[in-house]
Amino acid sequence: MGLFDSLHIVIIALYALGTVLFLTSVFTENDRLKRIAIWLAVLGFSFNTVDLALTLSRDPSALSGGTFYFNIIGWCALALYFFLWWRLRLEYLAITALPFALLLFVASLALGGIKVVMPPHLTALFFGLHIGALVLTLGALIMAFGAGAAFIYYNRKLKTKEGLARMGQNIPSLDKFDTVNRWAVLIGFPLYTLGLFSTFFWYLIAPFKPFAWDIMKIGSLAVWFLYAFLFHQRLVLDWRGRKPAILAIWVFAGMCISLIHHTITFRAVP
Amino acid sequence: MNKQIILIGLNHRTAGVEVREKFALTDVDNFEQGLMANCPVQECLALSTCNRVEIVAVVKNVPSDQAMNAVIQYWATACNGSPELLIEDIYQYSDLDAVKHIFSVASSLDSMVMGEPQILGQLKDAYRSAVEKGTAKTIINRLLHKSFSVAKRIRTETAIASSAVSISYAAVELARKIFGDLRPTKAMLVGAGEMAELAAMHLLRNGVQDIIIANRTLSRARELADSLGGEPIQIENMPDRLHEVDIVISSTGSPVSVIRARDVKAVLRKRKNKPMFFIDIAVPRDIDPDVNTLDNVYLYDIDDLTEVVDENMAHRQEEATKARAVVDLETETFGKWLNSLNIQPTIVDLVGKAEDVAMRELHKTMKKIGPVDERTRSSLERLVLSIAHKSLHEPICFLKRRTQEEGSADRFIDLARRMFNLDDETVPPDAHLDRKAATCSPEEIEKYVEVSKKEQ
Repeated sequence: MGLFDSLHIVIIALYALGTVLFLTSVFTENDRLKRIAIWLAVLGFSFNTVDLALTLSRDPSALSGGTFYFNIIGWCALALYFFLWWRLRLEYLAITALPFALLLFVASLALGGIKVVMPPHLTALFFGLHIGALVLTLGALIMAFGAGAAFIYYNRKLKTKEGLARMGQNIPSLDKFDTVNRWAVLIGFPLYTLGLFSTFFWYLIAPFKPFAWDIMKIGSLAVWFLYAFLFHQRLVLDWRGRKPAILAIWVFAGMCISLIHHTITFRAVP
Repeated sequence: MNKQIILIGLNHRTAGVEVREKFALTDVDNFEQGLMANCPVQECLALSTCNRVEIVAVVKNVPSDQAMNAVIQYWATACNGSPELLIEDIYQYSDLDAVKHIFSVASSLDSMVMGEPQILGQLKDAYRSAVEKGTAKTIINRLLHKSFSVAKRIRTETAIASSAVSISYAAVELARKIFGDLRPTKAMLVGAGEMAELAAMHLLRNGVQDIIIANRTLSRARELADSLGGEPIQIENMPDRLHEVDIVISSTGSPVSVIRARDVKAVLRKRKNKPMFFIDIAVPRDIDPDVNTLDNVYLYDIDDLTEVVDENMAHRQEEATKARAVVDLETETFGKWLNSLNIQPTIVDLVGKAEDVAMRELHKTMKKIGPVDERTRSSLERLVLSIAHKSLHEPICFLKRRTQEEGSADRFIDLARRMFNLDDETVPPDAHLDRKAATCSPEEIEKYVEVSKKEQ
């Protein structure tokens, strides 16, 4: 077994153990277990970073080959989670960040990532704007999904007054979950817009690549409209709490479907 | 071991308020000194609060029944009461039952409101005073230190003290679940009922920055504003100011709703949907129940809050089972220490520990020097064990001499056990009085030895 294989197994083990321990700690309200889970996540994230760096240093064309995008998305979700942990003391969101990081890492190994033939023109710009912005958006939406689900669950508890004693002391306030949603919308939507329209723009300037509507582009645009609606409601109509939480979950679901569709399409027709 | 711990006490469960009043100890310091002088006890500590009196003592060479009777007699006399009346309302424990009881008291498992933190503070004060007066010695010192660490362990490892068990504190906890930090929030008191005032006071103590007091009579609002530090307004102006506040506590005597759902809807628009928390303590209710159907609005009436408190109480009871298991475990550990307060077990532990260290070091050295024949190995073993034994000759001789002196055996044995850490205990830095934090890693000790040698 080579260095890469061993590293991948270690990363999977750390993410999996972190996920199991964190979920157990939430249900048993065991702070010690929670701390161990977070440190496992930190360790897994560090190894994941090393893995990405090694992959790129061995073969810089891997970046334009796009063979490890799922891995980058998972890594990005964890990076955003650590940012939220630092800024809002929201360690709770490991409940989504860790399982997604694990899922995406395993998926990147299993599927070999999305194999994209990079356009010869403006590759760096295309990668930076399109892929980079979309990866960041997905990371933000993973966090918004976790925060949204938690908001809906605890909001219901507070409204119905049922099982409040089981809510525990360490659960973040509804306000914090809503803040994550706000950040995911305010930062995520412009990034998604940039990511999506940069590829449309590329079609305009790239020779021999005429623009044509297909199910992939229409799907992405549909998600964009949903995201734009959320952005508008949140920013202009001051939506807060439950409604934007539900909508963020829908946007995330749309993004996931679109991503899976892209993966299947690119694997079939690179 | 011919020393015994005895505990005599009464509490809210065993005695009514008249008896508790009658036998409360108003001058605990003198009581403890009187107990030492008049009863066959070697150490003692007394705790007297509104809900309980606990007297812990250590007796030697006297049957525990006899010692307990003497303490009861003295207690009754000190309070000008009859021992017959007292004996009906007290409990008496000896040895590990007494230890278990004091651990339960410190952990608030025996309190009227289980999990409340005051009792630990009261016990710490009682201990401090007993130390100052010299009535707490080796065994009570250890017992109390241990009870503080048991209480701390229980608070950390169980959720016994985690949820609110009073209406006003429940309101604060709910507000925290909605807003998180209460510092940027503002509250409004509608009406000036006593319970609402208490809830407002709790909110202000927990970070709420500002409060508006709306009342039918402005003079009463002003009075309250003076004591709470808020802004008084006439209740008629309340709807115009509602959008400024995040938390509303209502307790007017109005027979109809004071705050209606459609008013709150308009207020929410003005507030850009910022969440609002309504606490309705009035009966009949002041706030239209439909308010709770609006998004970002949370309404709790008195029944809801009572239910929250009851649920939290039930949750504490469940946690108490876990806490009692900790108490049982720690009582057993304390029992072992109590039994070790003899010279023989201490010598055995001391020699055992030294042999362990010697063999560990030998093992490390053997790893470095590589394989040796059996004869060399056994010679080296004899050498390290002999050094370990001989280095203990003087301390053992000293201990033997001191334990033959009346009254100092426990102190020196306890000291030796602590110096050599024979009980493998780690005491948290803030477990008891003025404990200084100190690090003791092997590297630091080595460094300290080197520095000390050089300075000499």
